[in-house]
Amino acid sequence: MVLQDLGRRINAAVSDLTRSSNLDEKAFDAMVKEICNALVEADVNIKLVASLRTAIKRKVNFKELAPGVNKKRVIQKAVYDELVELVNPHDKAFTPKKGKPNVIMFVGLQGSGKTTSCTKLARWYQARGFKSCLVCADTFRAGAFDQLKQNATKAKIPYYGSLTQTDPVAVAREGVDKFKKERFEVIIVDTSGRHRQEADLFNEMVQIQEAVKPDDTIMVLDASIGQQAEAQSRAFKDSAGFGSIIITKTDGAAAGGGAISAVAATRTPIVFIGTGEHMLDLERFQPQAFISKLLGMGDMAGLVEH
Amino acid sequence: SLGVIGGLFRNVVGGKTLTKEDIAKSMKGMEDHLLKKNVAREAAVRLCESVERELIGMKTASFTSVETTINSAMESALSKILTPATSLDLLRQIQSVTSPSALSLQKPRPYVISIVGVNGVGKSTNLSKLCFFLLQNKYRVLVAAADTFRSGAVEQLKVHVRNLRELSKREGGEVDIYEKGYGKDAANIAQDAVKHATENGFDVVLIDTAGRRHNDARLMSSLEKFAKLANPDKIFMVGEALVGTDSVQQARHFNAAFGAGRSLDGFIISKCDTVGDMVGTLVSMVHATGIPVVFLGTGQHYSDLRTLNVKWAVRLLMS
Ligand SMILES: Nc1nc2c(ncn2[C@@H]2O[C@H](COP(=O)(O)OP(=O)(O)OP(=O)(O)O)[C@@H](O)[C@H]2O)c(=O)[nH]1
Ligand SMILES: Nc1nc2c(ncn2[C@@H]2O[C@H](COP(=O)(O)OP(=O)(O)OP(=O)(O)O)[C@@H](O)[C@H]2O)c(=O)[nH]1
Ligand SMILES: [Mg+2]
Ligand SMILES: [Mg+2]
Repeated sequence: MVLQDLGRRINAAVSDLTRSSNLDEKAFDAMVKEICNALVEADVNIKLVASLRTAIKRKVNFKELAPGVNKKRVIQKAVYDELVELVNPHDKAFTPKKGKPNVIMFVGLQGSGKTTSCTKLARWYQARGFKSCLVCADTFRAGAFDQLKQNATKAKIPYYGSLTQTDPVAVAREGVDKFKKERFEVIIVDTSGRHRQEADLFNEMVQIQEAVKPDDTIMVLDASIGQQAEAQSRAFKDSAGFGSIIITKTDGAAAGGGAISAVAATRTPIVFIGTGEHMLDLERFQPQAFISKLLGMGDMAGLVEH
Repeated sequence: SLGVIGGLFRNVVGGKTLTKEDIAKSMKGMEDHLLKKNVAREAAVRLCESVERELIGMKTASFTSVETTINSAMESALSKILTPATSLDLLRQIQSVTSPSALSLQKPRPYVISIVGVNGVGKSTNLSKLCFFLLQNKYRVLVAAADTFRSGAVEQLKVHVRNLRELSKREGGEVDIYEKGYGKDAANIAQDAVKHATENGFDVVLIDTAGRRHNDARLMSSLEKFAKLANPDKIFMVGEALVGTDSVQQARHFNAAFGAGRSLDGFIISKCDTVGDMVGTLVSMVHATGIPVVFLGTGQHYSDLRTLNVKWAVRLLMS
């Protein structure tokens, strides 16, 4: 699963070093290198990895370490702090409130899992007592409305969409207005996949956003995304200002470092992860647990409060 | 950019015999450069090792800097890995099956292509683009909806076939869909589709399949039966240019999924328009398997399918 192998490797590198009797600078460099390789293989952005390497080396400052200090602890803490800094969103995610309409708009790259995750999330809130519904504002992809309709029907969630209206802005507005009138509490708007290289698609996203004025915009990211994660998520952030991230396909084998890079680039929290193709395959995401998992818990957990 | 590597050697010019130490820093710079292009680390390391082996002990040509020597060695390593051993002339191969020469004693039959890959990479869309290409070449194509799992998968193909039929009025060719709704076994549907195509004089069958994780043993193992029953002439795997390191295992696991004696025939690398110059997935997938890239997906429209231009790819990777 996502991040587990990465955590294991990082932990192994740190404990190999701290356990070795001969804790010299060469061994320390080797550890930093091994951690960086693990991050690269997990698809963490290369520039982030480079700055993490510099930061750890600067913080530990091996040459200057006084003979008396607990080197092991200094190193562990530096690694931990830098990794936490890497994934710390510095921001709290939106949570819907009962008794009022909460409009949530989904955005993301093509095929990342938006439509699937929309229904999962609607069902999630429905199961927690929110009156939930779905709006299909993807008028581009072949069969997009059928896909959403079939998912919504299976989950018994009311939906809105059109087979004839080709303007996604109009459909989105109509759907949201209708459901607001009907006093729905969670109104989820699905949109087509898009990418930063096509300005028209980004403009369209902004227009949909202006039409439905979402309380939260969620960016959906595939756990297997590589080095484009940072640039794409940054561009989505600049245009759509999303406030939460959902990582999908975490049941796959990818390590999810692209997602970490997106968090780092946009300072946005991950709120849910998709763990399969079925309706119930959605888990709430806890950043703290994420970091612990990343670090495989171990004795570093004790360093959390400082 | 590669400028970093050059900086290390600005003053070294021709006539120097290279040592491992001479090039160590530059090779690290080169590795980082490839990683930035989204080449999986495993592939980047191997490429750098091969370039390093080639360079050690070599004399740089006069007035040629070490930088240029390393760059051109990497350029040729990349071209070498991306250039297929034999070029795929798909139309010719189709022709030889649909209208076999009298000498071959073969009966004419439809040419079968199936498309596989992980979830959401662009299988159905690129299948439709391939269909458009075949229509432009005046073929009669049957699209088989063997993704019987994902919501809307059948309707998605129906919409594409409707659009393509409209286009075929201008482009030529003919297209129809074979579908049996949801829930049925994909291998059986594929087999039935091929039979239907044979009986009805179709030239090509394009079989869409459901996306599957390469680490899902159950879904992966069903591909073996699929290959047996559908017996495709070509199995193309769609890999996504956006994917990072996972591309290596995706390629390996799919390549191994069809049973003894059957492997993938080519990759379609989709979403190349979404990655700028970070086209490293091309390298990673070929590195992992030795299977060639046959097409690139470069957008969401029917005409956004290209054959791989190795020079173009190498230029982006070295930029
Ligand atoms: N294994 C797995 N598959 C998933 C998950 N989430 C989505 N998928 C699959 O990923 C594929 C793409 O999902 P969609 O929901 O259609 O993606 P999308 O972002 O709406 O795609 P576009 O609208 O075309 O941009 C489908 O095959 C889904 O079943 C997940 O958490 N795990
Ligand atoms: N930008 C871009 N988008 C593409 C390309 N190829 C496919 N897509 C988009 O990617 C999304 C997913 O495409 P599909 O063809 O449904 O993918 P799939 O692999 O069949 O998905 P599943 O059947 O759910 O596993 C759609 O929004 C397509 O329009 C491409 O080359 N470039
Ligand atoms: Mg969708
Ligand atoms: Mg499909």
